[in-house]
Amino acid sequence: MTQSAVSVRAVTQHFTVEGQSTVALDAIDLEIPPGQFVALVGPSGCGKSTLLSLVAGLRLPTGGTLLCNGEPIVGPVPQRIGMIFQEANLLPWLTALENVAFPLKLRGVPKRERLEAARAMLELTGLGNFADRLPHQLSGGMKQRVSIGRGLVQDPGVLLLDEPFAALDEQTRMVLGDEVLRIWARTGKTVMFVTHNLSEAVYLADRIIVFSARPGRIVDDVPVDLPRPRTFSMMSSERFGALKDRIWAHIRDADH
Amino acid sequence: MRYLEPLLVAVGVCGIFGLWEAMVAGGIINARIAPPPSTIAPMLVELLGRANVIRSLGVTLYEVAVAFLISVPVGFFIGFTLAEMPGLGAVFRPVVNFLFGVPKSIFLPIFILIFGVGIEQKIAFGVFTTVFVLILGGISAVESVPRELVTVARAYGANRLQVVREIYLPAMAPVLLESARLGMIFNITAVLLAEIYGARDGIGYRIAGWGESLQMPQLYAALAIVATLAIAVNELLQQLETRLGAWRQRPA
Ligand SMILES: Nc1ncnc2c1ncn2[C@@H]1O[C@H](COP(=O)(O)OP(=O)(O)OP(=O)(O)O)[C@@H](O)[C@H]1O
Ligand SMILES: [Mg+2]
Repeated sequence: MTQSAVSVRAVTQHFTVEGQSTVALDAIDLEIPPGQFVALVGPSGCGKSTLLSLVAGLRLPTGGTLLCNGEPIVGPVPQRIGMIFQEANLLPWLTALENVAFPLKLRGVPKRERLEAARAMLELTGLGNFADRLPHQLSGGMKQRVSIGRGLVQDPGVLLLDEPFAALDEQTRMVLGDEVLRIWARTGKTVMFVTHNLSEAVYLADRIIVFSARPGRIVDDVPVDLPRPRTFSMMSSERFGALKDRIWAHIRDADH
Repeated sequence: MRYLEPLLVAVGVCGIFGLWEAMVAGGIINARIAPPPSTIAPMLVELLGRANVIRSLGVTLYEVAVAFLISVPVGFFIGFTLAEMPGLGAVFRPVVNFLFGVPKSIFLPIFILIFGVGIEQKIAFGVFTTVFVLILGGISAVESVPRELVTVARAYGANRLQVVREIYLPAMAPVLLESARLGMIFNITAVLLAEIYGARDGIGYRIAGWGESLQMPQLYAALAIVATLAIAVNELLQQLETRLGAWRQRPA
């Protein structure tokens, strides 16, 4: 058996706010093989973002262990795990190029070298002509492309995306989804992709993890047996609909 | 287009002076209360040639500069501390807010009691007035830092020092400069007020003297000098603020 890119073992996360304790994640087990594209879906507040922040090493779990390539995750290791947030969260005082280069700057990579790497990333995400723009001069979709470039610039093996397209319109969302698939196919990264959009989950993923309402547990683990490359017309196929129905049933039940 | 605005201002100012001159000539304005620009202008040149006036200006500039150089680090440091330590903030922020609203001039007699009427008293009073502006500025600067960006930096491996350098400082810079500029206005006002109230030297001291002895051309000429200097300082800080805060500007 090959080693998992990401292992989540009996992970539990409690939050205590003003003496009141909530269980965000309850004994989660999840093994993600290298190169797999996993979508995470579930009702709001079930702990999807919390799980990503644990994998990113932004916090330590209340219980259980997380591993990346078999090594315990005890803090952010950006060379291995890149994170892309819902709001692009670009640094507004840096240009698109400098934003993409930012993780390299933190690592002390010399300026010329890091800007060169960042330029290549901007080309990859289709923003080569906008390198010198400030974030407020970019559209929402462009900002998210910059943010994806920033997530990719260190060539991490694992990419975490927390509802990256939630703030975008349907068309932009589709285009960027294809873009992510293209990059994924080229680079073979392991992807964890949180979304509320079931079509997006089915369209993108190899596998869909469905969470219950709080306390978050995994209620279904759905393999997506649609061929690749995925096409727009697949979205109206019977199989596509059946997969969506299966996931929707869980989410509908969870809310009541 | 870039030269249009200064041009309009120049035309406006000339217009006002012209009108003023004409109204004095026509007897509408009393020349003893408001001497015409044609009297003030030569007086201005004369004042700038007098060694004691230049020395007084130097004293005032010194007081303003020292008070500012003390107020900025002290005020920002207190502001940052109050913003970053919720417990301390909860206790002292209302106090700062309350003191900010109190006119500082009522404390002048106390400052004279403690520091006398020398340069130290002007500096102390300048700091006392200015520091509140900078404390509040420091607090709102910290609060203006988007938490998400701190998370981004951490996710990409930033240590504490890097979070401060790469996120906090650039995010706070425009707000800090803005409050420094505001503080400078308060600072100049406080120092001049203290000089007018009781001093041995300084341009405020001279202005008070000319005012009391009804030497109006000297008074107006001095006002013009002080106003010009204050505007210059303000403009300079504003330029810096605009440059460092360019990223804040939304597209039109
Ligand atoms: N820092 C925190 N402090 C306290 N409680 C938190 C914190 N972060 C998350 N929670 C709680 O943990 C639970 C899960 O939150 P999380 O953000 O992971 O949900 P989510 O599945 O991402 O929801 P959504 O789909 O709405 O983004 C929620 O009840 C939330 O209130
Ligand atoms: Mg979330």
